[in-house]
Amino acid sequence: MIKITNVKKRFGNLHVLKGISLEVGCGEVVCLIGPSGSGKSTLLRCINALETYDDGDIHVGERRVDAASRTIHELRSEVGMVFQRFNLFPHRTVLENVIEGAVHVRREPRQQAVAHGLELLEKVGMADKRDSMPGQLSGGQQQRVAIARALAMRPRALLFDEPTSALDPELVGDVLAVMRRLADDGMTMVVVTHEMGFARDVADQVCFLHDGVIAESGPARQVLEAPRHARTQDFLRRVRSA
Amino acid sequence: MMENVLQFLPLLLSGAIVTVEVSVLALLVSSLLGFVLALLKLSPNRWLAYPASGVVNVIRGLPILIVLFYMYFVLPELGIDLTAFQAGVLGLGIGYSGYQAEIFRGGIQAVDRGQTEAAQAIGMKPAMIMRRVTLPQALRISIPPYANTFTMILKDSSLVSTITVAEMTHAGQLIASATFQNMTVYTLTALLYLAMSLPLLYLVNRLERHLRR
Ligand SMILES: Nc1ncnc2c1ncn2[C@@H]1O[C@H](COP(=O)(O)OP(=O)(O)OP(=O)(O)O)[C@@H](O)[C@H]1O
Ligand SMILES: [Mg+2]
Repeated sequence: MIKITNVKKRFGNLHVLKGISLEVGCGEVVCLIGPSGSGKSTLLRCINALETYDDGDIHVGERRVDAASRTIHELRSEVGMVFQRFNLFPHRTVLENVIEGAVHVRREPRQQAVAHGLELLEKVGMADKRDSMPGQLSGGQQQRVAIARALAMRPRALLFDEPTSALDPELVGDVLAVMRRLADDGMTMVVVTHEMGFARDVADQVCFLHDGVIAESGPARQVLEAPRHARTQDFLRRVRSA
Repeated sequence: MMENVLQFLPLLLSGAIVTVEVSVLALLVSSLLGFVLALLKLSPNRWLAYPASGVVNVIRGLPILIVLFYMYFVLPELGIDLTAFQAGVLGLGIGYSGYQAEIFRGGIQAVDRGQTEAAQAIGMKPAMIMRRVTLPQALRISIPPYANTFTMILKDSSLVSTITVAEMTHAGQLIASATFQNMTVYTLTALLYLAMSLPLLYLVNRLERHLRR
C-alpha cells in the first residue's frame, strides 16, 4: 500500500533522512519510534507530501508521491493525517469539521456527508458534541474529532504524528482506544508514537528510527521486547523509565 | 451663544453626512485595494509579490494630503477629471490601502500553519484553503485593527476639505470665516467628530476584548 524506497531528505546541511526504506502492507499497522529529532515526523510528512524529499521514491498504491505535482491534492485526500496538535478548524463546529472535506473536496451530497459524519462521530464517541466548537472541547475530545475528520475522507491509509503526546495523561486512553478499533477494522496506519504499550499490542511492525536511518525494525514484540541493537535497547530503557 | 449653536448646527450636520459618506466609501476602496495587495504580496509568485510589496511601501510612504492633491489637481492635467468628492474618496482610499494591506497580511500570517496543513491533508487546493480555512480566521484576527483604521479614516476625512469637498471641517471653516466665532464653531465641530469616533473606539475595545477570549 505504502512503499518507501531509499528516501533521503535534508534541511540545509542537516541530513534528516539518510536513506529510508519501508513497506506498509494493506491493513497493516506500522509504528515509528525513536528519539526526538530522529526524523519520524519528517518521514511521515513525506508520505502525504506535506514535506518534500530529495532522493528516493515514495509510492502510495500505484502512485508516486511528488509534492510538486499538480494533482498532489488527490493523493492527499486519500491519505488521512492526524496531527499532534489536532489542528481542527476553530471557526467550524465539530460536525462541520468532520464533513468539510467530504462536502468540499470529495463533493459528496451534503446529506450523505452528514450521515457519514455522524456515524463517524458516534464511532469516536463524540456524537453528542456535534454542534460544539473545537475550543470548547478537551484535547482528547478534539483529537477524536480530528480522527473522525480524517476518516470522513474514506482514506486508504491514516498517518498519525504523536497523536497523544499533547494530551493530559488521563485523556490518552480514549484516543488510543479509538485507534485500536481502527486497527481492528483493518485500517492501514502509520503511527509515530511514544506509547510503547500501544505499539506492542497493535503494531504489526515497529521501526526504530535513529539519526535518519531505520536502525532496527521487525515485528512489534521482537523490537520492543528483544531489541538487538544497543541503541534500541538504550532508547527503550529511557522511554520506560520516563 | 446658544442661538449661534442652533444656527451653525444644521450646516455642520449636513457636512457630517458628507464626512460619513466619504469615510465609508474610502473604507470600501481601501479595503478592496488593501485586500488585493495583501493577497498579491503573499503570493508565492515573486513577479506578483515584489511589485505589490513596492506599491504598499510607496503608498505608506506618501502623505495622504499629497495623494489627495494628486487626485484633484494632477489627474485633470492627465485628462482624468474627477469631482472633488470622487477625488477625495479615491485619494483617501488609496492612501489607506497600504495600511489595510498590512492589516490583512498580518491577519493571514497570524493563522496557525497547522491549519493550512490540516486543510492540505484533507486534499484541499490552495485557493480553497485560502477561502475556507485561512481567510475566515484571518479576517477575525483583523477586525480590531480594521475598526481602528476606520476611526483614523473618519478623522483624516477632514483632509478632503482642502480639495473643496463640503464635509464637516469644510463647513466649519466656512462658518468660522463668515462669523469669526472660531471658538464656538471649532468646539462644536470637535464635539461632532468625537460623537462619531468615540463610539467607534469603544467598539474597537469591546471587539478586542471579545476576540481575545
Ligand atoms: N522545516 C524544517 N526546517 C529545518 N529543520 C527542520 C525542519 N523540520 C524538521 N527539522 C529538523 O529535522 C530534524 C528531524 O525533525 P523531525 O521533526 O522529523 O524529528 P522527530 O523525530 O519527529 O522528533 P520529535 O520526536 O521531537 O517530534 C530535527 O533536527 C529538526 O530540527
Ligand atoms: Mg515529530
